[in-house]
Amino acid sequence: MTVIVNPEGAISPEAAPAGTTRATLRRNFWRGVWRVLRRKPSRMAGVVIVVLFAVMGVAGPLLYPAQLPRDDDALYAPPSLAHPFGTDFEGTDVLALVVTGARYVLLTGLATAVITVALGTVIGLVAGFHRGRWDMLLMRLTDMNLAIPGLPLLLVLSTVWKFESPLEMGLVLGVLGWGGIARAVRSQTLSLRERGFIEAARGLGLPTRHIIGRELLPSMAPYIAMNMLIAVTGAVYAQVGLFFLGVLPFESNNWGVMLNLAVFNGGALTTPAALPYLLAPLIAILLLTLGIVLIVDAMDEIFNPRLREE
Amino acid sequence: MITGTGITKIFKQRGGVLGAREVPALRGVDFAIAKGGAVSFIGESGSGKTTLGRIIAGLETHDAGEIVIDGVPMSTLSHRARQPYFRRVQLIHQDPYSALNPTRTIHQTLEAPLRLRAKQTGRPRSWVDGRAAELLAMVGIDPGYVLPRYPHQLSGGMRQRVVIARALTMDPEVLVADEAVSMIDVSLRLGILALLKDLRERLDVGVLFITHDIATARYIGDDGELYVLYRGQVVERGATEKIIADPVHPYTQSLLSAIPVLHGLERPGAERVVPREMQREGLPDGGCLFARRCPFSTERCESEMPVLGRDGDTDQEHACFHPRRRSVIPVGVGE
Amino acid sequence: MTAHTAAPHLAAPGVRIRDLTVVYKTPAGELPAVRGVDLTLAPGTITGVVGESGSGKSTLALSLLNAVQPPGRIAAGSVEIDGLGDVVTLRGEDLRRARGRQVGYVFQAAQNSLNPLKTIGKQLLDLGRSHDVEDLRALVRDAKELLARMGMDGARVLDSYQHELSGGMRQRVGIMLALVLNAKVVVLDEPTTALDMITQATILRIIREVHEERALTTLVITHDVGAVAEVADSLAVMYGGRVVEHGPVTEVLGDARHPYTQGLIRAIPRLTGDLSLARALPGRPPTLGTLPAQGCVFRERCDRRMEVCETDEPMSVNRDGRTVACHATDRHLTLVKRKEFV
Repeated sequence: MTVIVNPEGAISPEAAPAGTTRATLRRNFWRGVWRVLRRKPSRMAGVVIVVLFAVMGVAGPLLYPAQLPRDDDALYAPPSLAHPFGTDFEGTDVLALVVTGARYVLLTGLATAVITVALGTVIGLVAGFHRGRWDMLLMRLTDMNLAIPGLPLLLVLSTVWKFESPLEMGLVLGVLGWGGIARAVRSQTLSLRERGFIEAARGLGLPTRHIIGRELLPSMAPYIAMNMLIAVTGAVYAQVGLFFLGVLPFESNNWGVMLNLAVFNGGALTTPAALPYLLAPLIAILLLTLGIVLIVDAMDEIFNPRLREE
Repeated sequence: MITGTGITKIFKQRGGVLGAREVPALRGVDFAIAKGGAVSFIGESGSGKTTLGRIIAGLETHDAGEIVIDGVPMSTLSHRARQPYFRRVQLIHQDPYSALNPTRTIHQTLEAPLRLRAKQTGRPRSWVDGRAAELLAMVGIDPGYVLPRYPHQLSGGMRQRVVIARALTMDPEVLVADEAVSMIDVSLRLGILALLKDLRERLDVGVLFITHDIATARYIGDDGELYVLYRGQVVERGATEKIIADPVHPYTQSLLSAIPVLHGLERPGAERVVPREMQREGLPDGGCLFARRCPFSTERCESEMPVLGRDGDTDQEHACFHPRRRSVIPVGVGE
Repeated sequence: MTAHTAAPHLAAPGVRIRDLTVVYKTPAGELPAVRGVDLTLAPGTITGVVGESGSGKSTLALSLLNAVQPPGRIAAGSVEIDGLGDVVTLRGEDLRRARGRQVGYVFQAAQNSLNPLKTIGKQLLDLGRSHDVEDLRALVRDAKELLARMGMDGARVLDSYQHELSGGMRQRVGIMLALVLNAKVVVLDEPTTALDMITQATILRIIREVHEERALTTLVITHDVGAVAEVADSLAVMYGGRVVEHGPVTEVLGDARHPYTQGLIRAIPRLTGDLSLARALPGRPPTLGTLPAQGCVFRERCDRRMEVCETDEPMSVNRDGRTVACHATDRHLTLVKRKEFV
């Protein structure tokens, strides 16, 4: 009895990407990413904004001398061509402060995001996949993490730890904040676990390592990417808030400190003189958040091959 | 080569205020699948056929009974030691749309199990690509076309074929096809069925076909065995052709009676059986599970449980106190 | 005596679909899901429309309610229902009133289109209120009678939530909701999908009985030839957005004329007879994007393909109450008209 050998034809008549090598797949992936981003102008705007801030973080401090110039004749000067956002209490250009302050904020945000997502994902994946005792143990751990009062703890810690390096700040915020992601990833894992292709992988005897890393993780990629981006914004708010409260050490070009000084020293909420000093970091924070949110919109389409191609 | 005796499975449902509820999915089922043989499990939802298929494929545990693969009882082995045995039984899922990872190309999907297989059988890595192409050709699709594509770029029928190819990567001895064609377009179903039939002959691989559509079961395994399951019990068992032509259990007859008749091409069977409908869930205590719905049940049926056996002058085994031949299946016009 | 039992003396309406074309907007332009379909549902009959994915059958069913959603739209043609006029021209209030009161629709997987958060009874009342039914009590009574007619405990079902009912029961609830406003034209979309064999047989029987009792005109859409065979009087086969064959059920099945119909019947495994007679249909059903612009939609898979099939679309020829659109069966080739893809 002969088997029918005629293929039934494709659904999408487009030419398939030739070759199956890793390099080809990678190239096609990035091409697809570009296509997805170009679909909506808002996404491109988001990309531009985020790239702008990334450049600011990397190259910002290089554009200015290590010690920012002070001008005693122009304290809280109003906005002008030389100082688009005016000057601070020392006469230093506010824009320069924002640009040089970006690095700390972004590095911390990134470090926090990476740590929360890495910890949360691993814990959530293992708990959701293995279930049983592992699940119970890890979820109790997660519960404890979620119960830790973050702000009071940070306040206490700040009395002994100076958090000079953004990575130290990032580490602490990261270790404090992975609980939510762990929970979410676990429930995603529990539901994906029942999907046909995961069961098939188990039935074929593929090692757990492969199933979690190569089958589950890529399926959850959009979810994780979104969480990562949102974690960055969360971390930015957290640390800016802490610096604003005056809890953490003073660094004049840190956005949070700028807010603090503008409000408490400069009376920005009552007199107009220090208003630009208040607004500049605020706008920076809002812009950054906006840029990230606009990109998050693209995550789903980027990681789903079907949506990527369309 | 794979047999089971007394397989029992009970699902515990968390019932909330009223406590846990136990739902028996399988009540002491015996089965046997020979090498290269064809066995079909027929039943409706709630019959336990899918659960049994999954237990046989090693994807679920059972609460009682023994499974013996190639002469080795599974209960004597540790969980880890059982895996190589269950690896010989591969399940083909019903839904070709969720059975393939949407984020991986077909090449990636086949590569992983083949690499594992290469390691298991001491073959070099270079063997993987060639074998992938070979398997795809065996299931009737063009490797060059399919390998670089993602699942969403293939039709349902092609996807199901890829799923079958993937199942073959481990050189299984039995394929368990659970409603393998019910989500595929009608005009394409026969192609998949023909493929399974062909694989049986070519590779001497056994096929366990689980379905509610008896005609498709017949197509793959007309020379095989048929098990009719009702609420976790086997109510009739025997040669497929025999049971279709001469069913004796009223439930089997009900199932066969329910098959739509292609008027114009066929005439309905003369003695079609229509079971009574039950308004509420309720199983008789101790009696035949089908008694409440059976149009021929007697007092004995309500109180005593019939046992599967060859009672009377039937060729097949059945579990009924009043088996009787009835002509229920459609007859071709002109026959 | 309630309203609906007095209804049988009202004649069942006929439905005439003429030259219906429904297009969907895609990045590649507007593509037709249904093209130039002529179909007559004789009053009081059950017509079954059989087709696979991409055949356009569901779109056709929606057109009877003028319920094609964007990005689709009815581009041409008419759907005339006796007593209603051309549904395609109805808008706003008139259309809303027609849906439910005159044309009942049972959705695909009616089992899953019920609101899981409300009891069936509440949904029934919602339905009544949204159609300005004054006597809601009578409505509930009618509903209970209908449910009893279908073998269920009406009061209990109305008090239940969707998840408390079995698949078969939910399907019956769907049928009840489509009929309770005394619609005379009923469309059922895949009424037996996802149901067990025995439940399927029961539902088909119920459809047949209710249809006769209430003197309805019924349209059943399905991919299951068997389901249609058991319940319908006439059978229309759709492929690629066109009706390729139409006629009385026994004749179409017993003496199929279109190669697709023949191929479809051959591709169904049967319980008796020679297994080797069953043959798969090569190729696969078309999708919106793969429909050929010219010529016969089915030619890629056809075993009687001729040169004329590449360029000219076959005309529907009506002979002895049977309609077939195929060059191979139509001996009068002069009747063939060239239809260009707009």
